[in-house]
Amino acid sequence: MREPVIQVDHLTYTYPNGFEALHDVSFTIEKNDFVAIIGQNGAGKSTLLKNLVGLHKPTQGNIIVDGVNTREISVARLSTKVGFVLQNPDRQLFADSVEEEIRFGPQNLKLDKAEIDARVEHAMEQTGLIRLRREFPMALSAGDRAKVVIASVIAMQPEIIILDEPTTGQDRRGCAQIMDIAKEFQRRGHTVIVVTHAMSLVAEYADRVIVMCKGRRILDGPTAEVFAQEEKLKESFVLPPQVTRLARAMSAVLPVDHTILSTQELSGCIAARVQANQM
Amino acid sequence: MIKYHAGESFLHKLDPRVKIIMLLILTILVFVTRNFPVLGLVFLLIMICWKVSGISIRELGGYLKLLVGLVLFVVLIQTLFQGGETILISPIIPDFVPLIGGMGSIAVEGVLFGLLLGFRLMVIMCLMPLIIMTTRVRDLALGFVKLGLPYRYAFMITTALNQVPVLQEQIATITDAQKLRAFTAFEDGGTLQKLKSYPALVVPLVMGSMKKSTLIGTAMDVRSFGSRPKRTYLHDIAMHGADWAFLCFILAFCAGMFTLNVML
Amino acid sequence: MDEIILDVFDASFRYPNAPAYSLKHINFQVRKGEFLVIMGENGAGKTTLCKMLSGIIPHSQEGVYFGDVTICGLNSKEHTLPELCQHIGIVLDDPESQIFTTEVLDEVAFGAENLEIPTDEIQRNADWALQVVRMAGYEEKDPTRLSGGQKQRVAIASALTMQPEILILDEPTSQLDPIGTIEVFQVVRELKEKYNMTIIMVTHKSEEIAQFADRVLVLHEGEVLAMDTPQRIFRNKEIVDKAWLAVPQVSMVAVELEQSGIPLDAFPVRLEEGVEVFSALLQETEARI
Repeated sequence: MREPVIQVDHLTYTYPNGFEALHDVSFTIEKNDFVAIIGQNGAGKSTLLKNLVGLHKPTQGNIIVDGVNTREISVARLSTKVGFVLQNPDRQLFADSVEEEIRFGPQNLKLDKAEIDARVEHAMEQTGLIRLRREFPMALSAGDRAKVVIASVIAMQPEIIILDEPTTGQDRRGCAQIMDIAKEFQRRGHTVIVVTHAMSLVAEYADRVIVMCKGRRILDGPTAEVFAQEEKLKESFVLPPQVTRLARAMSAVLPVDHTILSTQELSGCIAARVQANQM
Repeated sequence: MIKYHAGESFLHKLDPRVKIIMLLILTILVFVTRNFPVLGLVFLLIMICWKVSGISIRELGGYLKLLVGLVLFVVLIQTLFQGGETILISPIIPDFVPLIGGMGSIAVEGVLFGLLLGFRLMVIMCLMPLIIMTTRVRDLALGFVKLGLPYRYAFMITTALNQVPVLQEQIATITDAQKLRAFTAFEDGGTLQKLKSYPALVVPLVMGSMKKSTLIGTAMDVRSFGSRPKRTYLHDIAMHGADWAFLCFILAFCAGMFTLNVML
Repeated sequence: MDEIILDVFDASFRYPNAPAYSLKHINFQVRKGEFLVIMGENGAGKTTLCKMLSGIIPHSQEGVYFGDVTICGLNSKEHTLPELCQHIGIVLDDPESQIFTTEVLDEVAFGAENLEIPTDEIQRNADWALQVVRMAGYEEKDPTRLSGGQKQRVAIASALTMQPEILILDEPTSQLDPIGTIEVFQVVRELKEKYNMTIIMVTHKSEEIAQFADRVLVLHEGEVLAMDTPQRIFRNKEIVDKAWLAVPQVSMVAVELEQSGIPLDAFPVRLEEGVEVFSALLQETEARI
């Protein structure tokens, strides 16, 4: 049993206008997990994230992040435990250089200069931004802008990192680079939570999937198990990756005992069968 | 929220031109007069209009609080700093206070002038939202156009109104984003720190707005904005009997008030 | 021979103060009723190409422009944007910045009103456009309060009210969730199949377009790298890798099989095609035993 880093306990969140965006949501996220949260817009994903990072405080219930109740800690302090990468980089980039941009967070933490330098260096290294350190962040490509934002969060050295639709508007290369950075962050022993609509990326990177629908958590489990429940997913208008659906549609001619999540898996199965038959 | 509230009241149905004229003429009246009975009657008229509109003045919410605060502030400042001959209290600061003792005085004229300014402010600030809340933005713009304002300007007004919520949302997101980077200067920093950290909020906002305005400009161009001197309007407005009647009433009311102002 | 409705001849464009050309010597033609998809990396010049095809370049975007774009027989240099707008409509990626009014019907009528078209004609066209995008009944709603997919459909209707022959969509679903994406693609599909409209769409979503794209144009560093059927483009590993194309997973499985030395009778780009092709392959080898 691994150590829990986020415990959401009977969380209900109602906006001041009376709209109940989250209803009695409970789950635990364990250390070093890579969790994807999926569901339609309006399912409560953004509200949930804002609760996890302390921008919203639960109307009912509690959230314990790394042993601390989010009600009892400032957003600034919490940001050193759980980092939040917002969807649109243009809503936070302001500095003259990539380096300065990344420096902003650690500086706000009033760390000493050597520590700040080390963190900035480390964050740029992890995101492949060393060669762009003197560039003007707002003039970078969409992919690099997203990386600067991730680096500025990594520089806070949080235990957990949350990415809100990080691949929206990105091309295939951007998607792959961003998700690889997240994976590397996990490999170093941290926890990753990502909200996304890109199911093929969920299948490729996530260990666990939480499906939200109308403010409730309707499915939760290992990625393969969640994507196997096609009917239940349909209720929340989620389609499993194309390759998963393809394998399912072919199950009559190609019985497979597990849920296919990648193209290599499926092409491997088909090739093995073809070769076995040719023997 | 100060935005259009759908409704079927007399005021909703009133031609926007009449409402614009009412706004202009009452504003002039309120600024010309120094007469409390006149101001009181205008205020009464506006309150009756609120009643007729079927919209509760409480809908104004935060704006109403701001309004009350502003009016009290104006009255207080004027009372303290606008001197006069008929001294009520003098000095405000007792003589025994060192250095500034014996300074300041409150005069009847000052109090009255403060009340006058406060009253004017209140009248205007109650009238404007009433017009906005009972008129569709589209009709308001068309009203201005029919009164002679070039469409370009009317369009600018409506676009600005449309962009207000977008801007509010942007500011909220930017503030959240920087808070998440442990940015606390605006909550507990000193003045210097606040000034130094200003770019973190302003730069993304300005850059975002610039990007957006370029996009909006392109979107306008591809929809032929301003391509012809005239344009058609799918929803036209027309003056009916009731509109003319109310216009006459407003003109007569204002004429009466001006007369009263001169007589008193 | 099919009628050429859009002709791009040796067109290049450079933004003011930019060191390099964003588009270099672009040449291609689009046939009437064709569905052309433009793919390529971010920064490859896709949006610039959309601006060029719709007449925004040279009329509303400054820069250095060479070459000729002929839209429905009109050279875009010689005709004004309002003239071109009546032949070619464009929908941008950001739903927010295309909304100018507070009611859906006004939004849809906006362009036609600016062209001084009589109100009864506007009403007719707007009713039709809203019906096509399945937004009839939303006439009096506030467009800013609609979902992303609905906003984009209103934007499509706004272009349709001008009765264009060509519709350009620049990443219309990049900001949308899966439902919104499906809604927009359904509308686009109907425009092609029912109204035979010429459609040019920029998108990364290859799985969604594979079913109805006639051809794919691949842009790479401002140049046309390839222009062919989706089958041939997605099968060509060199192009796919060079331009970082997002290929449908069905096609990826096929490519992987071909690489491991298993020949396929046909190259699938759609899910149903994949089921058919791969099942046939398995049954065929099984039958041989």
